[in-house]
Amino acid sequence: MSTNFPWLTTITLLPLVASLLIPVLPDKYGKTVRWYSLAVGLIDFALIVYAFWYHYDFQNPDFQLVETYAWLPQLGLNWTLAVDGISMPLVLLASLVTTLSMLAGWQVTYKPRLFYFLMLAMYSAQIGVFCAQDILLFFLMWELELVPVYILISIWGGPKRLYAATKFILYTAIGSIFILVAALAMAFYGGNVTFDMRELGMKDYSLTFELLVYAALIIAYGVKLPIFPLHTWLPDAHGEASAPVSMILAGVLLKMGGYAIIRMNVEMLTDAHFYFAPVLAILGVVNIVYGALVSFAQRNLKRRMAYSSVSHMGFVLLGIASYTELGLSGAVLQMISHGLIAAALFYLSGVTYERTHTLMLDKMGGLGRSMPTVFALFTIASMASLALPGMSGFVGELAVFIGFATSDSYTSAFKLVVVLLSAVGLILTPMYLLSMLREMFYGKENTEFRGVPLLDARPREVFVTACLLIPIIGIGLYPKLFTQTYDVKTVQVASHARMAVSTVAQQPLQLFSEVSQAPALNSVTSGEFLGIVK
Amino acid sequence: MDFASLAAQLNTEVILPELIVTATLLLVVVGDLIVGRAASSKWTPYVSIAGLLAAVGSLYFLWDKPNPISFLGSFNGDNLSIVFRGIIALSAAVTILMSIRYVEQSATSLAEYLTILLTATLGGMFLSGADELVMIFVSLETLSISSYLLTGYTKRDPRSNEAALKYLLIGASSSAIFLYGLSLLYGLSGGQTNLNDIASSITTAGLGQSIAVVIALVFAIAGIAFKIAAVPFHQWTPDVYEGSPTPVVAFLSVGSKAAGFALATRLLVTAFPYLTEQWHFVLTALAILSMILGNVVALAQTSMKRLLAYSSIGQAGFVMIGLVIGTDAGYSSMIFYLLVYLFMNLGAFTGVILFSLRTGTDQISEYSGLYQKDPLLTLGLSICLLSLGGIPPLAGFFGKLYLFWAGWQAGAYGLVLLGLITSVISIYYYIRVVKMMVVKEPQEMSDAVLNYPEIRWNLPGMRPLQVGLILSLIATSIAGILSNPLFTLSNESVTKTPMLQATVKPEKPVAVMKKSNESAQVSMKF
Repeated sequence: MSTNFPWLTTITLLPLVASLLIPVLPDKYGKTVRWYSLAVGLIDFALIVYAFWYHYDFQNPDFQLVETYAWLPQLGLNWTLAVDGISMPLVLLASLVTTLSMLAGWQVTYKPRLFYFLMLAMYSAQIGVFCAQDILLFFLMWELELVPVYILISIWGGPKRLYAATKFILYTAIGSIFILVAALAMAFYGGNVTFDMRELGMKDYSLTFELLVYAALIIAYGVKLPIFPLHTWLPDAHGEASAPVSMILAGVLLKMGGYAIIRMNVEMLTDAHFYFAPVLAILGVVNIVYGALVSFAQRNLKRRMAYSSVSHMGFVLLGIASYTELGLSGAVLQMISHGLIAAALFYLSGVTYERTHTLMLDKMGGLGRSMPTVFALFTIASMASLALPGMSGFVGELAVFIGFATSDSYTSAFKLVVVLLSAVGLILTPMYLLSMLREMFYGKENTEFRGVPLLDARPREVFVTACLLIPIIGIGLYPKLFTQTYDVKTVQVASHARMAVSTVAQQPLQLFSEVSQAPALNSVTSGEFLGIVK
Repeated sequence: MDFASLAAQLNTEVILPELIVTATLLLVVVGDLIVGRAASSKWTPYVSIAGLLAAVGSLYFLWDKPNPISFLGSFNGDNLSIVFRGIIALSAAVTILMSIRYVEQSATSLAEYLTILLTATLGGMFLSGADELVMIFVSLETLSISSYLLTGYTKRDPRSNEAALKYLLIGASSSAIFLYGLSLLYGLSGGQTNLNDIASSITTAGLGQSIAVVIALVFAIAGIAFKIAAVPFHQWTPDVYEGSPTPVVAFLSVGSKAAGFALATRLLVTAFPYLTEQWHFVLTALAILSMILGNVVALAQTSMKRLLAYSSIGQAGFVMIGLVIGTDAGYSSMIFYLLVYLFMNLGAFTGVILFSLRTGTDQISEYSGLYQKDPLLTLGLSICLLSLGGIPPLAGFFGKLYLFWAGWQAGAYGLVLLGLITSVISIYYYIRVVKMMVVKEPQEMSDAVLNYPEIRWNLPGMRPLQVGLILSLIATSIAGILSNPLFTLSNESVTKTPMLQATVKPEKPVAVMKKSNESAQVSMKF
């Protein structure tokens, strides 16, 4: 096939178009539908891998596989899709996690048609968010994912699912107001009206305007990422959703926030980023420490992991705020790594729940005896999450740390405090994860499980977890394999951001002069510090 | 003078669609008289639909007509009026689809109902192009009086009678106020009745800013706001919507409202060019109140018809954004929104009618668990409600996007922000209904759904309902994604209407380089 083939359009629309066939599929017991959806997911995944392998140049930092079709010329809305080093890994992640979560939902017997229909619709929306290069199209895709998630939580969730789903939709819908307002404001700013993200990035905004738009966008994406104090929907939604849905929520949806911050706040509003970066760093630290502490206090397994997500996404913020190539690369890596790890953990918690029918840690105990494989898998995933060397979590967090520590945009006192506090978070992570493992698997078997057959993991369940764990270990052992696919882009973004710093820092408005400083011109190349990443 | 030259002089062909509707109307009345009530109900609805569709078809040939003024200036068939007449006729056609079964079940005559509905349609269509005070008032009253009759059509139902009486009393007083405003205009302009002449003679007499003209304006707006149910002229809406036959409510909320917007655009733009700022100001206030009150009060409703009543107040608020910003894009976004609103609101009403025909209730709580029993109805109603809430990729999302786009372009930042916030509120109550239908588990099913009758589309009058539901479902789903033709239609209806072009505000110049000091101002306004 030629390179002119509209790969991204095909990839984005295939699941959505395929989902429209689900209502008419002949299917009595819900079996055809799940095979069909899994096949669609796999085909789409294969297409993505094929398209990126043959038509994506890993050494090119620019947008690739660009497609533009005028959709509504009256509005200036174009169907523009493209990928670059930041979105390409996330497209892969979204596709992998969604396909696996459809396999994870194999035992959904209640309204299977609706379930798989929504899963496929969400698949399209996620890929669309990561590929859209038109800010209105981005907004459309962002909103498209809203209702499927709402219904998925509120039908197949836990006891408080309706509350959680409503909270989710209100938070996200209110957040997305800010996206549309910011999009309209940027598009109509200055002479020409455009919604193309690249052209928006090239517009010359006034600083006040940039700060306002930046603030609006950080609220919208802060809900999604989540950033403290906008995170309160997350423990409810993640805690109440069923395992396949939690996998997508934690594995992909949170990354939409991180991706959008890099894409819009850092790339398009570089000047304002200078003023907001210290705030992001502080919020990142708050996320890390607060998330870890609250997680430790949770007695519900899924809520504990939900707060652990809050804690881990703090590293993404820290990396984004670091102004170094290594930090930014670490932020992307941390997103991917957390996507895989969180998906694995949520899936395994679902596997456990299917057998014990409880998520309360108090009621578990001694499960390791009857479910050794689940125990082993759970341990591996937890180790990855607490950043054991040799796993992807370690590389991501270390890269963020070193990136931030070597950043020359901050005073050393500020850096010291930030790094110290997040190191505290790093110590708290093993505490809550290991104590979780202890309460679940060690000790005497809880008397309540007498007579309940606690079967060990089935081959399908091992397979799903393995698909997530293999890349985790692969990235952990040889990160370059993965980071080299997007490094050119993160280097470009970081140096672009730093160039803006050196000009902005000369301006009289020194809001953060206490903590920020202009970098020395010959900035340290990060590669020398970390042999394993570069 | 012979007939042909008279017709040519009056430029009769401009009102060809109205003539077709009139002919259909007469055919229905006479046919009903000849063959009798039972036999006529078999074919009259289809004849009426055919007539309305023929009228819509004939509108196509009048598009871009070089000389649209007819009847010595009392009717202006410009492109703007054509779009509005199309919306009204289509809404009547879809309303008939959903009425057949409903009217038959209430054991009243179908042909009489159709006659009144067609008369109302005729009034609305004439109102869309009326360019002269007498014409405006006569067509407005044709529409209004037929609407009063329609609301009280199920005469054995006391609530329908109550609704009709309320509507009649409030409507009559609002007509009186409106007429008083018109009479002021007539007097101030020295006896002119044509809207353009009124504007020019008031300007030449130097009365442009006089208090009398302002009073005339306020009275005229009061009459219009009653028709489009803008807050604070909305009090009749919930009660009338709740009591009236549901198909009539569907027509009132789409056809009659569209006619109101057509009247508002033409009367305010043509007759009050010297008070543009004032009427923009008043309508902005009405839009703000409508968006807030309509959407907030809808949250608390337990009856589906009342929910849709308040939602339609809120929706009218959104549409008014397009009207008050007064740019090309503003007017065309208003028309675009009305076009998609036609499909989605009528679709929602079709769903409500279908449900109440099968279960006899329209309480929201009774919808719970409907997905298990009737997936098609659930799908249709859910899609239409989500579209009203502005969820992509449905038609309503694009409608709202265009309105907000145009609003932002014209610098109405506050209105756009308010619109966005209230549309998030609206998502909440629309999705509450969807949640009832889709999310509730089998054991939570309501009694009405538990006793849900077997779905039989072959009962008399059910097939048209099914057609209406599926048509509006398809239109709502794809009119957004493939909205290019609708965009072009609404844009051209504005750019090729001389009346609007004369008053349109200059839009933001495109491709002019502006630098930092001006941009600072923009950001301050933001």
